[in-house]
Amino acid sequence: MHFFKNISLNSYILVVFLITWSLEGSAEDYFQDSDSSVQIISESYKANENEILLIGFKFILEPGWHTYWANPGDAGEGATVIWNLPNNVSASNILWPGPEAIPVEPLMTFGYEDEAIILSELSIDKGAIFPIKLEATVGWYTCKEICVPQQANIKTTIFKGERVNSIYKDEILRAQSNLPIPLKTQHRVKVFENSFILQFEVNNDAKIDDIYFFPEKYGLINYSQTQKSEINKSSISLEIPKAELSLQNNKFKGVLQITEDSKKSFYSIDYPLENSTANIETLSLGTALLFAFLGGLILNIMPCVFPILSIKILSFVEQSRGSSKELIKHGVAFSVGVLLTFLTIAGVLISLKAGGEAIGWGFQLQYPLVVSLLAYLFVAIGSVLIGNLVIVNSFAQVGQFTSTFNNLTGSFLTGVLAVIVASPCTAPFMGSAIGIALIQPSFTSLLIFIGLGFGFAFPYLILSFNPKLMTFLPKPGKWMETFKEFMAFPMWLSALWLIWVLSSQIESQSLILVILGCILVGLSVWMLDKTQEAKAINRFALYFISIILVILSIYLLPTSYGKEKSEIKEFSLSTLEELREAEETILVNFTADWCITCKVNEAVVLSSNNFKKILIEGNIHYLLADWTRKDEEIANTLERYGRTGVPLYLLFFGKEDAIILPELLTEEILLTYLNKKE
Amino acid sequence: MKKRYLVVLLFLTQFTLAEVKNDSKAPLFTGIDSYGNKISLESLKGKNIILEWTNHECPFVAKHYKTGNMQSTQEFSASKGAIWITIISSAEGTQGYVSSEEANTLSSSRNAIPNHVILDEEGVIGKLYGAKTTPHMYIIDKKGFLKYQGAIDDAGGRGFMFKDLSDANNYVKSALSQLQEKIEISNKVTKPYGCSVKYKS
Repeated sequence: MHFFKNISLNSYILVVFLITWSLEGSAEDYFQDSDSSVQIISESYKANENEILLIGFKFILEPGWHTYWANPGDAGEGATVIWNLPNNVSASNILWPGPEAIPVEPLMTFGYEDEAIILSELSIDKGAIFPIKLEATVGWYTCKEICVPQQANIKTTIFKGERVNSIYKDEILRAQSNLPIPLKTQHRVKVFENSFILQFEVNNDAKIDDIYFFPEKYGLINYSQTQKSEINKSSISLEIPKAELSLQNNKFKGVLQITEDSKKSFYSIDYPLENSTANIETLSLGTALLFAFLGGLILNIMPCVFPILSIKILSFVEQSRGSSKELIKHGVAFSVGVLLTFLTIAGVLISLKAGGEAIGWGFQLQYPLVVSLLAYLFVAIGSVLIGNLVIVNSFAQVGQFTSTFNNLTGSFLTGVLAVIVASPCTAPFMGSAIGIALIQPSFTSLLIFIGLGFGFAFPYLILSFNPKLMTFLPKPGKWMETFKEFMAFPMWLSALWLIWVLSSQIESQSLILVILGCILVGLSVWMLDKTQEAKAINRFALYFISIILVILSIYLLPTSYGKEKSEIKEFSLSTLEELREAEETILVNFTADWCITCKVNEAVVLSSNNFKKILIEGNIHYLLADWTRKDEEIANTLERYGRTGVPLYLLFFGKEDAIILPELLTEEILLTYLNKKE
Repeated sequence: MKKRYLVVLLFLTQFTLAEVKNDSKAPLFTGIDSYGNKISLESLKGKNIILEWTNHECPFVAKHYKTGNMQSTQEFSASKGAIWITIISSAEGTQGYVSSEEANTLSSSRNAIPNHVILDEEGVIGKLYGAKTTPHMYIIDKKGFLKYQGAIDDAGGRGFMFKDLSDANNYVKSALSQLQEKIEISNKVTKPYGCSVKYKS
């Protein structure tokens, strides 16, 4: 005490100043709490305006204790810094060096053991007044089996002048080198039922020891389950179990740790996730029903449906002059036809789904036979519309669109037909709506289908119950005939669309046969049309010929998918050599059930419809070498191409040397390599 | 050979934390409360039930009790006629482990009003529910379905120690109210925060 009294205040300040300056920082920059300490450090204690300084918070914990990363994992909490800074000085958010996985069985936490430096960028803007006093309140937890909260208020000073590296510079640089940098190499994330698979490319023969993914947010991955890595020659796949209670995450975001030659590096990953079905699932039943109803309503104006229904309206116009009771009966019969057909389709879908089939609406379009039959139907309807055909046969009332019919069965069957012709049209527009229906319990799915049907039939119900509304429609007359004929064209356009769908499913010869079938169907309808004016004997001949034509067109229907060449063949060296001798193009897929990289490539490319199309169009032989069980021939072939494991994708253009395709296969890559042929 | 089998079994029982999906049946359990009564979930059917995982020495739990936040949530729950069950899954010898008497003393000294305090030192109930932190909260409805799981409020995350809990949005209170008003619970799953549950190892 006496000592201080004897010195003047000025020289006391000077002494403190000198000590502060020479020691780089002061006693105030450090605080020891009960179980750990923190120190604020800077890369330089001198700086000028318009500079950025890297500031560190250095935690020293008891050996074996840890503190947390930004995402602490299952428990704990990362450090917080509350700054108190002068004007024109600002600090960035905390920059977190890559953490360690610290298991606390049965849980998993992410953090730093023994010692940690977290960083912040200090911006000294124009107008900052030196010396700059940096003050921060820091809160953190230090944990082993138990957690102890710690708090400190620490300060340091930055003086004006040219930068001088402080004694902490090296430590700060080390911490900085552990900050994650964006992953630049080719990478992708594929979502599977219970896991994510992250794939990225690495340099050939990189000595990777270990890979680990630290997620940024809760609810993406399961922290405590093991992440399974697969190190290939030039790529790595990491299978990461999904969080069981997954929250809405539309991004796969976090930090990837790669340990190469026992040196760790950290990369940030921010990859958009494609299917967020969670959103759909949360649709309440009421909303789903409303959407279904609206969807059904919209169906009415689809090109394949509109013609049929507009004709139906025309018949209403005609009948509106008749008894209103009759009209209601017709409207109800039509709606019942619509609803029953929708329910039948729903029943088929639900039972197929129960049988384990992965299907959605539009599944029928996956079968070339169904698509071709629908194309025939559309051509036939178009031909009936443009001609004058009146089918008197009672069953075939379905095809009767003229204003003369007055039979309730006819109204019912028109409803059935409307739904059938609507079915291909719904696929592109309402796939997702029906997708929702199919992931619901059966009862709910049925309700949604009823909603659809009701929406579909709604306009006619309204019209039949309120014939007055029809006064808004033009008066019946000659125009109706013209309108009906014109409606043949949207029908034929729809048929063309179906042919286009078919073109990706079958080869061109079969496609030509289907188109020929379409023409025969049209011819047959035209002939039937002519029977109406023909003499009895000719009429019989015309009937006979048109039936023959229909039988012929059915005979022309494709029976299976594409040509044999697109089918997968089992790999053997002799098959391969034979095909090479014949100057064929061959793709060999070396795979195994346990290979996670293969799993992704199969999901992304090799099992897609587009891939089948590529094979057909490129006239490519596809050989599958399944290494799930050890096979010497496959092992030897792998070895010949410098591999000890799968995947390996080889492309052969006849006798030329094999091209090794990248391990992260995409359609574009495949096409690029195939185009090299020329 | 036998030994290896045993190790595998141990591995399975030790490291698996079940996770229960919301709106599914809450797993049934029976435990002994601090007064020696047998408490089974089945017998409490017909009432909304709150499960609170706790460890009185955990700084996160301590803050919720010191500020009266947990007690006010308990009072709120009692006013809604719900049953509050505090569960302690700390194994013997670990932080937060208490005897029945200590548990009762803790309740009275902190003015806590749980209906039951269950001592789960083997961690059976904790693992059944996938309890990860203290606190970790669950709400089960009158029919026995799990309706909420996660944090007590939104004060978690970095900076918790500096936060004023009276400003926080209490997830348990709002979920209970919504459950009673029969409207959709707005936050069904939240990230639990706190110390790790000190399971028997």
